[in-house]
Amino acid sequence: MADKDHSVVVEISGKGPEELLRISREMQLGLSVEEMRRAASFFEMEHRDPTDVEMQAIAQAWSEHCSYKSSKLHLKKYIFGIARSKALAEGDAGLVSLDDDLAVAFKIESHNHPSAIEPYGGAATGVGGILRDILSMGAQPVAVTDSLYFGTKKIKGFPSPKFIENGVISGIRDYGNRVGIPTVSGGICYSEFFSPNVLVNVGCVGIVKKNEIRSSAVSEPGIKLIIAGGKTGRDGIHGVNMASAVMESGNENITTVQLGSPIVKEPLIHAVLEANRKGLVYALKDLGGGGLSSVVGEMLNAGGMGGKVYLDRVPLKEVNMLPWEIWVSESQERMLLAVRNSEVNKVLEIMEEWDIPAAVIGESEPGGRLRIYFGNRKVLDLPTEFMTTPELYDRRSSIKEKKVVQWLPKYPADFGKVLLSLLSDPNVRTKEFAVRQYDHTVRGSTVIGPFSGIVGREGPTDSSVLKADWDKEVGVAITSGSNPFYSAIDPYLGGRAAVDETVRNLISVGAEPLGFSDCLNAGNPEKPEIMGEFIEMLRGLHDSASILDIPFVSGNVSFYNEAGKRRIPTFPTILGVGRVKDIRNSVTPDFKEPGSSIYLIGVPTTDLGGSLYFRRLKLPGGRIPYSDPRILKRRGWNLLKSIDSGLVNSVHDISDGGIAVALSEMTLGSNVGASLDISSLGLRTDFALFSEPQSCWLVDVKPGLDGKFSDVMGEDSIFLGKTGGSEIIITRGEENVLKASNASIIRRWKRGYT
Amino acid sequence: MKRDVRVAILTMEGTNNEEEAYQSFRHSDSSPEIVHLKKFENRTRRLDSYDVLFFPGGFSAGDYVRAGAVMAARIRAKIKRDLENFVEDGRPVMGSCNGFQVLVELGLIPDTGKSYAVEAALAPNASNRFEARTVYLNVRRGNCLFLDGFSDGEIIKLPIAHSEGRFVPRDSDVLRRIVKEGLNVLTYVSGSGKEEGYPWNPNGSEHNIAGICNRRGNVLGVMPHPERIFSRFTETDWTRERRGYDIGNRFFESAVRFIREKY
Repeated sequence: MADKDHSVVVEISGKGPEELLRISREMQLGLSVEEMRRAASFFEMEHRDPTDVEMQAIAQAWSEHCSYKSSKLHLKKYIFGIARSKALAEGDAGLVSLDDDLAVAFKIESHNHPSAIEPYGGAATGVGGILRDILSMGAQPVAVTDSLYFGTKKIKGFPSPKFIENGVISGIRDYGNRVGIPTVSGGICYSEFFSPNVLVNVGCVGIVKKNEIRSSAVSEPGIKLIIAGGKTGRDGIHGVNMASAVMESGNENITTVQLGSPIVKEPLIHAVLEANRKGLVYALKDLGGGGLSSVVGEMLNAGGMGGKVYLDRVPLKEVNMLPWEIWVSESQERMLLAVRNSEVNKVLEIMEEWDIPAAVIGESEPGGRLRIYFGNRKVLDLPTEFMTTPELYDRRSSIKEKKVVQWLPKYPADFGKVLLSLLSDPNVRTKEFAVRQYDHTVRGSTVIGPFSGIVGREGPTDSSVLKADWDKEVGVAITSGSNPFYSAIDPYLGGRAAVDETVRNLISVGAEPLGFSDCLNAGNPEKPEIMGEFIEMLRGLHDSASILDIPFVSGNVSFYNEAGKRRIPTFPTILGVGRVKDIRNSVTPDFKEPGSSIYLIGVPTTDLGGSLYFRRLKLPGGRIPYSDPRILKRRGWNLLKSIDSGLVNSVHDISDGGIAVALSEMTLGSNVGASLDISSLGLRTDFALFSEPQSCWLVDVKPGLDGKFSDVMGEDSIFLGKTGGSEIIITRGEENVLKASNASIIRRWKRGYT
Repeated sequence: MKRDVRVAILTMEGTNNEEEAYQSFRHSDSSPEIVHLKKFENRTRRLDSYDVLFFPGGFSAGDYVRAGAVMAARIRAKIKRDLENFVEDGRPVMGSCNGFQVLVELGLIPDTGKSYAVEAALAPNASNRFEARTVYLNVRRGNCLFLDGFSDGEIIKLPIAHSEGRFVPRDSDVLRRIVKEGLNVLTYVSGSGKEEGYPWNPNGSEHNIAGICNRRGNVLGVMPHPERIFSRFTETDWTRERRGYDIGNRFFESAVRFIREKY
């Protein structure tokens, strides 16, 4: 059935394991011997050998990246079951309910491997890809987030950390700014962990009317498939296979990275949303990893359908592309719209209005078999279920017992000096050089952005808040949580801490947490110790989220973040969204006035493992802070009540650098100092000031409302002192502990940014 | 009955600030419509059926050549005469950010020589990077119809987000005429109202110029984004200052009022 000029037959029947592996390698399929055997026995039953298109299609669908074959069993066990009733829908992104008619669509995913090979293009298309996932739900994208993890050490054979960092930041800037969606949240983390395995975890949040939510399943015959957007080229071929293997030399094949064009994406968003709003779209899916092959297969299989596709009808960038290349190309800015025959012309007219190339390439058919033609020759004929469903792996896992060392560092001689050094640590000090290159006010709906405070001396915020509707006061809060330093020591507690941070950040602005999306980063899952860490992390996420009753509605898994002997810790980046009932009540961390009372919600801890303080002192290991979701829930939701009732001026969560750094950050945007007495906290002074206890906040309460605030918070609030003055002064009874001027705090925090 | 004020918000591929511009005009009691440049080119829409023309920001055609250059070239090729009639008729035309760049590329501002020659450019920021921040601006309203709602010397706050915003006049004559005629209606200042350097002047503009109006007072180009502040809850420091008005709308309300009074 294949044409010798276009598509060739791959002889796999009766071949031995070595032959099979050779074929897999030569065709860059990335399939194991067992998987090749499974394919071979299928085609034996069909009494024929496969075509190259068929083998490529199988390889895409069965890749780790597309199929989650190593993680799915565990994700089902630990993640998928949490708070199911709160997830409105799942597909390319997840949805939670915001109010009676609006839902929030959101997702975070990795673009790690492409960014390691080609930082600029990899990061840019990461933004492009996540935007399409949100669009696939019928939602208007309203915000982009990016959590970046950069190495600090040059590794031979790989680009320098600075080169990677500049490339990634420029890629996000040029794509996000051009497509006109604000980049409002995320973070940058520096550690040797990420040399040379840079991590780029990009998220997107969208808003959709509940009656405009689109499914991605086609469950009727005769539904036409329209490809719309960018033309298909040879860029990004085998991207998913590349992302499903460890990096070897740094000389990975650059053609596996797609090329992005935000100037095509921007009108594509308008056109797709317009068609959807007019009720012309039956189902919708974006073309990402695996290209047409994954999308057509999954769309039809989800509805139990088969179908036919004519590859020569796909608009192409370049002539002479082979059928298999068209079928698996990961060219950017493409969407697949399933449309009823009666609406096809209307959809094509809308595309024409926006100058977007679009073509009908096939339709659904009963029977569950997909047939693909190229110039009237059949080049693929497979059951969609077989094509899209690989064997799942329950890979071997082992847990390495680690001895916990509890360090007792030398008592610091000068606390002011320690504080200032923590403030200028790369992981604390301002990220303005990057964040101010991202447009965070475009669309005019950013209520709280990455910075807040007096213009010209703004400090960082905990979450961003966006207006969800032009004519309502309801808002959506967006943040992310992760701590690779904790996870490196204890993946289980690290998982719990990531949930804690996400919830803390949402509460800080006055948002009720609604849902999570998880981007899970790890090394090679074929190694038992990594699989063991992966499962530990999932257990941690599960134990916290299930008690909080907050669902994970979307996410992705990125394995194989390894190169040579170097690999990343196994850790999650969580994208969290929350509901702000009335944006006019949301709060920021900057102190608002002198003379108000400062309270600590929570208590410091003696578990300083992974803390910024210990990292500065180069103390490895130790016990990491423990997050108890029950305590988080009690404190957090009471604090939410206080914010809703207008009792507080400012709120900031305790994270890197502990109470001392959090307090300093509250002076940044306000130029209002504070005087605190920490004798009620007990503990050694450095532990009291620099430990990073979970579920903790600093709160500045409006004058005269202390009583009401204490009534709501109960025993969880500890009075520490008052705002005011041009410095922070910390005492322990009569003893002077620390003094630092507002001016020196901001100078150190702004270090390196001019 | 109040006269309906029709506003065309002009877009093409890469324009991406049309939504907030649309909302701003909607909040300013007018009837905005987002119109693709194509529709003026193929005559399915006519410019003279609108009262106000707004050029939103973004990256028209990707800004891969020079900011605003491609959009201006397309306009000049097909609807130059219509646009000049619109301007000469005295109707309000405003552009922000990329829209400012387009207006300068079209020669509609500063237009000190009356011949629509290109007299200035918006060059890459002196910092050589994209800058997203809030700036303070000093208002010198002159006869600019968009600034009717402000007082002279008033200091206002608006967001900026651009990588090519450094106003560079063609020569010293142009600059002299701009200053002499008071066409530099908006200038970057510090929090205390003084003209200072970076970051208060975020892009290194000559004379701290942030906005330019033509002599007739009906064409205004600004680098900042008043259209993003149609609600005061989108200012960066709104949690510190509880004022009772939405600063961006004053630009658009002035234009709408102008139309209702004059036409």
